[in-house]
Amino acid sequence: MIRFEAVEKWFGQHQVLAGVTGEVKRGEVVTLLGSSGSGKSTLIRTVTRLEGIQGGQVLFEGVDVAGRGVDINRLRQRVGFVFQAFNLFPHLSALGNITLGLERLRKMRKAAARERAMTELDRVGLADKADALPSRLSGGQRQRVAIARALAMDPDVMLFDEPTSALDPEMVNEVLRVMRTLAQNGMTMVVVTHEIGFAREVADTVWFLDKGQIVESGPPAEVLDDPRHDRLRSFLSRAR
Amino acid sequence: MGYVFDPAAVLTGQYLDWFIWGLATTIALTVAAWLLGMTIGIILTLVRMLPFRSLEWLVAGYVEYHRNVPLLVQILVWYFGVPQLLPRAIRMWVNSHHSEFLLAMVALGLASAAYITEDLRSGIRSIPKTQYEAARSIGFNYLQAMSYVILPQALRIVIPPLINQTLLLFKNTSLAMAIGVGELTYRTREVDSYTFKTFEAFAVATVLYLAISFAIMALGSFADRRLKLEIR
Amino acid sequence: MLEILEDNWLLFLIGQYPHGPVGGLAMTLFLAVAGLSLSFPVAIALALARLSPRRWLRGPATAVVYVVRGLPLIMFIFWTYFALPLLTGHAVGGVETLLFALVIYEASYLSEIIRAGIEGLPKGQAEAAKALGLGYFPTTFKVILPQVLHNMMPSLVSQFVSTIKETSLGYVISANEVTFAASQVNNQLMTQPFEVYGLLALTYFTLCFTLTSAARWLERRLAAERGGLGAQPA
Repeated sequence: MIRFEAVEKWFGQHQVLAGVTGEVKRGEVVTLLGSSGSGKSTLIRTVTRLEGIQGGQVLFEGVDVAGRGVDINRLRQRVGFVFQAFNLFPHLSALGNITLGLERLRKMRKAAARERAMTELDRVGLADKADALPSRLSGGQRQRVAIARALAMDPDVMLFDEPTSALDPEMVNEVLRVMRTLAQNGMTMVVVTHEIGFAREVADTVWFLDKGQIVESGPPAEVLDDPRHDRLRSFLSRAR
Repeated sequence: MGYVFDPAAVLTGQYLDWFIWGLATTIALTVAAWLLGMTIGIILTLVRMLPFRSLEWLVAGYVEYHRNVPLLVQILVWYFGVPQLLPRAIRMWVNSHHSEFLLAMVALGLASAAYITEDLRSGIRSIPKTQYEAARSIGFNYLQAMSYVILPQALRIVIPPLINQTLLLFKNTSLAMAIGVGELTYRTREVDSYTFKTFEAFAVATVLYLAISFAIMALGSFADRRLKLEIR
Repeated sequence: MLEILEDNWLLFLIGQYPHGPVGGLAMTLFLAVAGLSLSFPVAIALALARLSPRRWLRGPATAVVYVVRGLPLIMFIFWTYFALPLLTGHAVGGVETLLFALVIYEASYLSEIIRAGIEGLPKGQAEAAKALGLGYFPTTFKVILPQVLHNMMPSLVSQFVSTIKETSLGYVISANEVTFAASQVNNQLMTQPFEVYGLLALTYFTLCFTLTSAARWLERRLAAERGGLGAQPA
């Protein structure tokens, strides 16, 4: 579904992605691990062209996302993106955050959009917060609304950029629970995270990035319990 | 002193009419200059967001001129100076059509535009880039992201300073008296010189000015409370 | 334009002096400097009164600030123009009138800046001073205000620019400052108003823009001092 082919990216003189190659299959849950600065966030941001690349290709369903004739806005509707800092729209209620895309992009009628949004809110356990402004929600609740906002667009794949890193510890689980359910229902997911436990339990595949490259990948049991790389070994020991 | 303060003496007959006309002119001048200032202010804001350095400098020059020259002097330049530059036919036409009101409106409007564009720009700049990113991630294009996500937020930030700008503009219309526009201050002096009831005349004008100013201030603090978004 | 400047630069700069009173740009600057300096103590008093827990202090001070904010400066100048002779018992000239009006007007705007500065200071400063056993006045004048005044240097320069611009209203009551001087030159020449007033605008612009730039520079320096690079100007 998503293929990275020798993807390279520089920020000025600094190379963040140094030839990343890998594939995410339909229905697969891929977890990206790596210390900060390893390029894992940048990698998933290239999928929806939040970051441009200087070398290689990113393919979504076989089509180069940077290719000519690609309607990037259409593509983004099919790829849900969840940010570390939630990025809810502060001037809209939880419900309004979700209906905005449904009404303006899916051209749904108000009532239908509302109904759909309520379904999504219910799915993340926040139906009772529909009318609350983001400022009235806790961090965990905000992130769940952000997930609902992305899900409402019926994406083919969900990308998560450190979804729990900005949360207080006691709120991490409520978000992970939502993501776990999502994975169990067969959603294709790419998750950048520091939650080793989540990776072990939910992921089909783990990619370990270091210095802009995938240095190890495979099923979690293999990668996490029998790391071959020193960098990964020290990363895991620090994470514990 | 045997002096009796008697506002009623200036609130009868033609004097009352003068006050009413003065107030009406003040309000008309405020509204007209506001509309002009807002229009030009928005245009300037859009122009300076275009990726051309030269245009950006041009707008910056415009802003600096209007902020660093006294408004009264700007009005004098427009009233005494600019008609001199116009072709004779237009000058004649302008002079016979209440040129003082028109030119005061232009001077006040252009000056307001300089302040308005600064407010608008800082409003838009204060919206974090991540909001734009989030909007694009849902699949909105540039214009949609602007109109559904960025501008609605910027507007909330910008409305309180714009209301304050309106208050300043309202007060500044009084400077138009210097070129003979029959607004409230001008009419007040007229009433004064006809009746010699100086304190009464100015008391009436003061109450009128304060009433409207306080109404604008109240609107401002209401907007401030209502629109304040707790971001994060 | 140069010719006008050549013939009238003295009138522009110093008015009729030494054959008459000082005027022109010199008077403009004097009015602005004196206006702002004299308004300063008044502004501090107003700010402290507005922050006072005592209602009889806070009430009147708040009223003054709001009335000044709500009234055009020109109205204020006229009130002074009529009331000052009555209060003092003798005739008062245009310059004195303008100066008096400016002091009150500027004082209430300045007081708002000072008040915001005091409120913006970390609460710990006042608490630390009190913990040392300092009373209200030492706390305020030795600990709080020095910091506030330091932080508000840029605003102070901006306020100085505003004051310079406001002195132009001397024109309306024939106070002999530079706008009035320009109008006199214009009355003599009759035929070149654009040049005369253009020159006047240019004079103000040069003066005020220089000061505005200085204020920005100060603001950047203060921001750097606070360690916040590229902090937002006030």
